[in-house]
Amino acid sequence: MRNVIKTAAGLVLAVALGMPALAQDALTIGIMVPTTGSEATYGQDMANAVNLAIDEINKAGGVLGKQLTSTIGDDGCDAQLAVNAASKLAASGVVGVVGGYCSGATIPTLKIYGDAKIPLIIPAANSTKLIPENPGNAFMINSTGNDQVAKAIEYFNGKGVKSIAIINQGDAYSQDLADLTKKNWEAAGNKVTNFEVTNKGEQDYSAVVTAITSANPDAVFWTAYYADGGLLIRQLRERGYQGLIAVGDGSNSPELFKIAGPAAEGVIAFSNPTAEFLPQAKAFADAYQAKYNAAPGPYSTLSYDAMKLLAWALNTAGTTDSAKVIETLQGADFTDTISGPISFTPEKTLARSNFVVLEGKGGAWTLAQ
Amino acid sequence: MSIFDIFTNQLLNGIVLGSFYALVALGYTMVFGVVKLLNFAHGELYMVGGFAGFLVLSFLAPYVGPGWLGVAVSMLLAMIAIGFLGVVIERVAYAPMLSAPRLSILITALAVSLVLQNGMLTLTKGQYVPFGAALGFGGVRLGNLFISYNQMILVGVAAVLMLGLELFVSRTQYGRAMRAVAVDKDMARLMGINVNAVIAITFFLGSALAAAAGTMAGAYYGSLWYFMGFLIGLKAFTAAVIGGIGSIPGAMLGGLILGLLESFGTQLPGVGSEWKDVFSFSVLILVLVFKPTGLLGKPEQERM
Repeated sequence: MRNVIKTAAGLVLAVALGMPALAQDALTIGIMVPTTGSEATYGQDMANAVNLAIDEINKAGGVLGKQLTSTIGDDGCDAQLAVNAASKLAASGVVGVVGGYCSGATIPTLKIYGDAKIPLIIPAANSTKLIPENPGNAFMINSTGNDQVAKAIEYFNGKGVKSIAIINQGDAYSQDLADLTKKNWEAAGNKVTNFEVTNKGEQDYSAVVTAITSANPDAVFWTAYYADGGLLIRQLRERGYQGLIAVGDGSNSPELFKIAGPAAEGVIAFSNPTAEFLPQAKAFADAYQAKYNAAPGPYSTLSYDAMKLLAWALNTAGTTDSAKVIETLQGADFTDTISGPISFTPEKTLARSNFVVLEGKGGAWTLAQ
Repeated sequence: MSIFDIFTNQLLNGIVLGSFYALVALGYTMVFGVVKLLNFAHGELYMVGGFAGFLVLSFLAPYVGPGWLGVAVSMLLAMIAIGFLGVVIERVAYAPMLSAPRLSILITALAVSLVLQNGMLTLTKGQYVPFGAALGFGGVRLGNLFISYNQMILVGVAAVLMLGLELFVSRTQYGRAMRAVAVDKDMARLMGINVNAVIAITFFLGSALAAAAGTMAGAYYGSLWYFMGFLIGLKAFTAAVIGGIGSIPGAMLGGLILGLLESFGTQLPGVGSEWKDVFSFSVLILVLVFKPTGLLGKPEQERM
């Protein structure tokens, strides 16, 4: 009996502690990012940027006359955790969600937000596989894999590259990028010497490196994330690979230089626009630095814009009714951004690509073109 | 590169990777041999060992330098520290369960692995930690085959540790006591062997070997991560089972087989690297079907 009472008391306490989050005079925004796991640094950066935007919006009077608060759902870059995070956010009555970093983790959440009729703005995940799974409530403000592949092929052609090796990790994001690259590259009459899939968390890439160096392609294209990419780049250079090494936007992180060391010199990255390379993002970067005492990460710019866009859509629609908000987003021609104007295709992807090319120099990314 | 060059290169890759797997599998198999416990936390001890080596090296680097001397000293200190951690884990988590059903202790081992993993996740916030060793990329070139000094030292250290363990188990009094406990715990106790001390020594050695592999991995690959023990724990388990779990030469053989299978599996035309794990686990299944005791394992004999 005493145990029953204890449990009941515990439950009451838990509910009571949970209550303030549901206070009536505020609108809650859900932030779905990985705050644990291999991509946790990115996720934390993104959450910080969204909260920075919320602070500014609140100072300017809030949305629909109410202040905004936020609640984080940790997707851990993992499909199962993401489903939990999305269910948690959907159940906590959020008026909209900003988030989605890993495509593989974001895809299974689309249906949950769709069923709960919650508008979702995705600042990072950009696999083309998100498009057919979208029930109509999700908007991608990061250019998709198609745009990135076009940029990559344009770059390779400019450098006279004829043969490439493509390596991915078999997750939705990196596999999509790898498949699209292979298809378009071969369609243009070029050669793919190796098409390899590696395990996430693998430390030893020597066998793959030997397979690549024996085929000796003009370039190696790593389409997955920075953590394992750093190890691969290091082992490629250690084993004497001289050609061009390029990485996708998932590897655009200063961490890559910590892991790969000097081997990352001259590595090319295709990336969405990040704060450090945008003159108009200076005020944002300064505010971010002042508040979090750190430089904004690669997806902060788009996360900040995503929150601004959502607030604009809520205000313009004049209601939190999701059908109206989604309709407003679909027709958006939103220019109060730092990453460039946002408007959407009928597929709810960005109408105009915003990819840039970065190069590793002196242990940091620099703008190449 | 000719086919021959590719072959020799992959052979080298396989041996380096295999001696790594063998070193981790060794601790796994030894603990199983003596206590009949599948220590699923072994991969995590490897991970924690890597971090311990890193911590020691960052203190030592100003005095002995971040080169191989520094790595060697850090490896030894990390081995001792993680050896004691292994003993503590055994005392706290496993000892009370030794007479409980096998399944309970197996689940305890899984719990220990989760505690270590999430503990490190909290400490490192899920970030990759660059292992600041400066080992250089030098090596010897034989035609198209490049063997780096790092690889030589890695295989050499692994071989010395394995040989040392084999000698310890086969030649010393403690080794004999370990073998006696492995055969029959109760009878060994009746013969005056301090079974608890023997189990502690077993855990110490097994954990120390995992820490040695973890530190070497950190120095060789250049970065540490809280989740790095998971995959290698799985591979070490596979290696131990292929070789015959409980058998020390079996763990070495199993590790080498696994390393070679993975290297050559990557190079097979038309299949590529995504199939390499399929080969490894297919061999595991074949071994379990046709020789369930593993390649070097002996069938258990019940004597009346």
